[in-house]
Amino acid sequence: MDPVIALNAVDYAIIGGYILVMILVGYSLKKYMKTGEDFFLSGRSLPGWITGLAFLSANLGALEVIGMVANSAKYGIATVHFYWVGAIPAMVFLGIFMMPFYYGSRVRTVPEYLKLRYNEATRGLNAISFAIMTVLMSGISLYAMALLFKLMLGWSLTGSIFFAAAVVLLYVFWGGLSSSIYNEVIQFFLIWLGLLPIVFLGLKEVGGFGGFVAKLKEPLLHSVKFLGTSNNPLGVDWFGVVFGLGFVLSFGYWTTDFLVVQRALASKNINSARMTPIIASFPKMLVPIIVVIPGLVALIVLPEFSQAGLPATEYNSALILLMKHYLPNGILGLAITALLASFMSGMAGNVTAFNTIWTYDIYGTYIKKGKSDSHYLKMGKYATIFGILISIGTTYIVRSFPNLMDYMQLVFSFFNAPLFGTFLLGMFWRGATAWGGFFGLLVGILTAAGHYILYKFGVLHYASDMAANFYQAWWAWLADFVVTIGVSLFTKKRDPAELKGLVFGLTPRTKAAVRWLARPEVWGSLAIIIAVILNIIFW
Amino acid sequence: MNEKTETKRQHTEQGKGHFLDLKLPIGWLLSAYGVLLGIYGLVTKKEMYEKSLGFNLNLAWGVLMLVIGAGFLLTAFLKRAKDGTGPH
Repeated sequence: MDPVIALNAVDYAIIGGYILVMILVGYSLKKYMKTGEDFFLSGRSLPGWITGLAFLSANLGALEVIGMVANSAKYGIATVHFYWVGAIPAMVFLGIFMMPFYYGSRVRTVPEYLKLRYNEATRGLNAISFAIMTVLMSGISLYAMALLFKLMLGWSLTGSIFFAAAVVLLYVFWGGLSSSIYNEVIQFFLIWLGLLPIVFLGLKEVGGFGGFVAKLKEPLLHSVKFLGTSNNPLGVDWFGVVFGLGFVLSFGYWTTDFLVVQRALASKNINSARMTPIIASFPKMLVPIIVVIPGLVALIVLPEFSQAGLPATEYNSALILLMKHYLPNGILGLAITALLASFMSGMAGNVTAFNTIWTYDIYGTYIKKGKSDSHYLKMGKYATIFGILISIGTTYIVRSFPNLMDYMQLVFSFFNAPLFGTFLLGMFWRGATAWGGFFGLLVGILTAAGHYILYKFGVLHYASDMAANFYQAWWAWLADFVVTIGVSLFTKKRDPAELKGLVFGLTPRTKAAVRWLARPEVWGSLAIIIAVILNIIFW
Repeated sequence: MNEKTETKRQHTEQGKGHFLDLKLPIGWLLSAYGVLLGIYGLVTKKEMYEKSLGFNLNLAWGVLMLVIGAGFLLTAFLKRAKDGTGPH
């Protein structure tokens, strides 16, 4: 089968240049990795703009970009909900309200917070499940990348897997979290530079936004207007979008997923940590430019998309086909490099999250406690190696069971929504007890799994898979919330002295003299206001 | 315990405490891309740009990236000059 895109020497030079820079950055960071804190948390020394952009890029992986372009072709402008409703409020909430407890408590990981706030069982449940899922996700994105480049560019599947794994291994082994973060920031610039040409050319060819109005069916052009009707492009109603996606799913992900939270924890002080997700929220609002516009353009411009009712998987090729359609060699290499960068930094993010949780929450807690910091630093480096090896191994599994990718996303969602409930109560209600936390989380996870099974067996009915997904998150969260409160009322309370710095009301409020312009509340409010305005404009 | 205080001192000596000024690799990478694409854009023929609606995308984008890259490098060097001695 012929590759879809043919690259020439200039394209490869661009790709090669990026690989070289990634390795050099890793190498130059090597000498700074003296302690565990350096390796796993960048020494808690990074400025807000770096952690903010890394926070965003850690989430803006290639699968996300390709998937969202596909969603835009399928659902139209309503896809913006994933950004303006499904991300901004959560990111702002994390920065303003939750970061003081995350950063102020000096926990090194998300599970560690659960240990301090609740108990060891809660930490274990989160740490073990997250460690397994994150390392599997690393392998899954590695495989997805290799498959994409094989189909599109004709690269060898095994070759890309081993090459990418080797490069990521090298720079993470040398530079730890800092390497991962620095490369994510570089990825951020490459993604915009690589994809904006398609946006400009696409808009020019279809005739601007007026062209969209003229050539596309109405439900595709509105984000909110059609949600309550039978023409609803998303197949999800009001409640599902606001409470399922907007509240539970998005808060569950942005406030508890260690892969993103870890970047905020690497900040140099509490104010930077709080500003991290808020700084990230502004470019996040703009991401629809490079994701929604190309999706709509694809519908008009690509011959493959002109017929209605395409099978779902075909939408995923939208972005690549647009690249082939518009980009000459040279710029094409830049676009491919942007995708490569996103894939690799996604993998690096998973590996750094894995090696940190493994070393501190699993190895340092259950296997070998109380060892020296340099012992754990060494463990972290070993964990990087075997994390990558497991990822490579996972690609062989995924090859035989391609559905694994979808199942992984699904399983992640079983955990995120209830975890958010556990954190919400943990950080804002001092009455939440240790066993309340554990059982709430457990019941929440089981509710999500149960809901899914009932839906798949036809006991529960929803308009679409997406609707089922949003509602599943809602019910799981609610179950966690109710059970945590219920069990807490009947179990032993924690000594308030132990909870200092972990809960609202027991944490001294630092009235740090911060300029008005640097305050998270100010920027966070601005972000929310802009997001609301955007929703109104594209209503 | 000693290791930790030593690192903290090292951090404060470096001023900002973070390891390598990230503006440098970004600046060099984008500038290099800018030069590469710009030159490529100059030497290639017009037919190649039919798909990009007639715009010489390599040249245009190359210049843009060179400007952005140079901007990063400038900011990095100005900061170094202001700090006296850079982190490395």
